[in-house]
Amino acid sequence: MARPVLDIRGFRVGIEGREIVKGLDLTVRGGEVHAIMGPNGTGKSTFASALMGHPAYEVLSGTVTLDGRDVLEMAVDERARAGLFLAMQYPAEISGVSNANFLRTALNARREENDPVPVLKFHKELKEKMAGLSIDPTFAERYVNEGFSGGEKKRNEILQMAVLQPRIAILDEIDSGLDIDAVKVVAQGVNDMLSENFGVLIITHYQRILNYIHPTNVHVMMQGRIVRSSGPELAEQLEARGYDWLRQELGIEEPLPQEA
Amino acid sequence: MASDTLTLATRAQIEAIAPTEPRWLLDRRIAALEESASLQLPMSKQTKIGEAAFVQADAPKLPQVTFEGAPQGVILMDLDQAVREHADLLQPYLLQVAERQNLLHAQHAALTKGGFFCYVPKDQELTEPVRATFHFPKDGYYTPHVLLVAGERSRCDLIVELVGVDGGAPAINGGVEVVVSDGAQVQYIEFQRLPGKAQGHWSRRAAVGRDGKLTWILNDVGARLQVADTRTELRGDGSDSRVFATFFGGRRQHFDFRHIAVHVGQHTTSDTEARGVLQGKARAVYNANTIIRPHATGTSGWQHEHTLMLSETARADLVPELEIDEWDVKAGHAASAGPVDPMQLYFMMARGISEIEARRLIVFGFLSSLLDSIPLESVREQIAQIFHEKVEA
Ligand SMILES: Nc1ncnc2c1ncn2[C@@H]1O[C@H](COP(=O)(O)OP(=O)(O)OP(=O)(O)O)[C@@H](O)[C@H]1O
Ligand SMILES: [Mg+2]
Repeated sequence: MARPVLDIRGFRVGIEGREIVKGLDLTVRGGEVHAIMGPNGTGKSTFASALMGHPAYEVLSGTVTLDGRDVLEMAVDERARAGLFLAMQYPAEISGVSNANFLRTALNARREENDPVPVLKFHKELKEKMAGLSIDPTFAERYVNEGFSGGEKKRNEILQMAVLQPRIAILDEIDSGLDIDAVKVVAQGVNDMLSENFGVLIITHYQRILNYIHPTNVHVMMQGRIVRSSGPELAEQLEARGYDWLRQELGIEEPLPQEA
Repeated sequence: MASDTLTLATRAQIEAIAPTEPRWLLDRRIAALEESASLQLPMSKQTKIGEAAFVQADAPKLPQVTFEGAPQGVILMDLDQAVREHADLLQPYLLQVAERQNLLHAQHAALTKGGFFCYVPKDQELTEPVRATFHFPKDGYYTPHVLLVAGERSRCDLIVELVGVDGGAPAINGGVEVVVSDGAQVQYIEFQRLPGKAQGHWSRRAAVGRDGKLTWILNDVGARLQVADTRTELRGDGSDSRVFATFFGGRRQHFDFRHIAVHVGQHTTSDTEARGVLQGKARAVYNANTIIRPHATGTSGWQHEHTLMLSETARADLVPELEIDEWDVKAGHAASAGPVDPMQLYFMMARGISEIEARRLIVFGFLSSLLDSIPLESVREQIAQIFHEKVEA
């Protein structure tokens, strides 16, 4: 298959009548690693969730295509099957459904009904992928995210990505709540997938994960827009100096105090 | 519910059903008929029982029953044949296991026709389940009866299926009696898959002897209206009863279920676990009642009822009750009814799972803790499969 291209033009998203994402343009191709950084509450998760089709968010205008196909026309599950993946900031828990059962159902959803993935083969591959992410084998039979620690949930998101092999992945704060070793493990999981056939967009507050997954492009998002795009050096600048210099340069006013 | 508009059973009807029946059985029918004069329809705030097809005492027809898996020594046969051939075994129990509490119980006893008798001799332990399937024709009024007698220290699993024909609309007022003798262990498993226009009233009565154990595994997915009450009397000391009830209603189905555990003996235990799923405009009324009689010391009775709502138009009324006349007991209940979490649906769909598959997985997850408690794998799988097929897009 050709190299994936996610193309976002003039994307505006609102919630409860309030515009949060205010016109965003971005193109992510296979082989690229984009990082989006930005202060709390500027709309990064809103952007990511609306791309995936989260029901709470309303797309106000703009176009999104994946490999030329209109993403906004698709239901959430169709977007996923088209190759889009979102590692969520707060993934849901599903009581009574094991991780293995969940993942097998998700894999089979990508296949013909009369051609399900062979059970033994699935379990073997799942075991290997879990080992690669240092996930305890018992997590295959644990209920999806139920009782998982914050870091375990994040690792579980990466496991799902590794099993489902998307074309474009968006990782929303995949590094939050991870200990130092876990950041390396998760980064390794992403790097293992990087190829011409896989592009990734990492939403993060910290330079740390970018030491392990080297970004090709770094963007800063403020007040619902991408206000600066550059190479990896931008992330280092932000880590060292914060956002105020950029606000001043761009003449953006201080945001109103945010709730915690 | 004006019972003066009802067609009550008559003596002529009884005589028409049972011209050749032994005297003792005829007497029991007539006693039930006489009781019916002073009994009311079952009370339900939410269900219009008086309008149900099964309250009208018509001339009952005979449903077909098929059997499977009775080993040597076990009696499994049509009830009328058993009355002729094994009167000594039935006579102590038939229509006698528990007192009748409402008009439908009395009407069933007066007019009962068809059904089967299952007898497991003492000390016999069955390794495989015994099966009986009721086939209800397209229409008509039916009053079948099941009598299961498990002798002392015997073990038996009985699987009863209630099925009909496509588009069928039978009206059923059935009854089940289970006798668990001292030290016996019985699992009574029932799958109710009646067609969408059926209306049923199904009354189950059980008496459990000393150190006996009875498990009811009840699965209801069929019928337009299904009213069922299950009453287990824990008479012997150390006796135990479990209920694992699952139901799944859709469209305009209406269920009204009542489970009653009566603790009479000392150190008796009961546990009721129910999981219901509702979609469309389905409605379920679920009552559980734990009655602890005086002197039933050291008993414990628990109820857990949870309903998952797949649509906003479905409705569930859960009514847990405790009636306790003894201090030295442990009892309690938990009940909840809630919608599917839209964030769970979103999460699953974000992994490529279609909405209907996501609902199926959520339903499966909702059932799983109950299924895990059922010791028979084939029954677990059958319930999971039935629920899987019932989920609508
Ligand atoms: N479901 C929602 N309901 C109401 N308001 C919301 C909802 N989701 C987001 N918002 C609001 O939209 C704004 C942007 O939130 P968003 O989560 O997209 O920010 P973010 O950039 O991801 O922040 P953070 O870095 O803290 O994760 C915030 O003011 C937030 O309160
Ligand atoms: Mg966020």
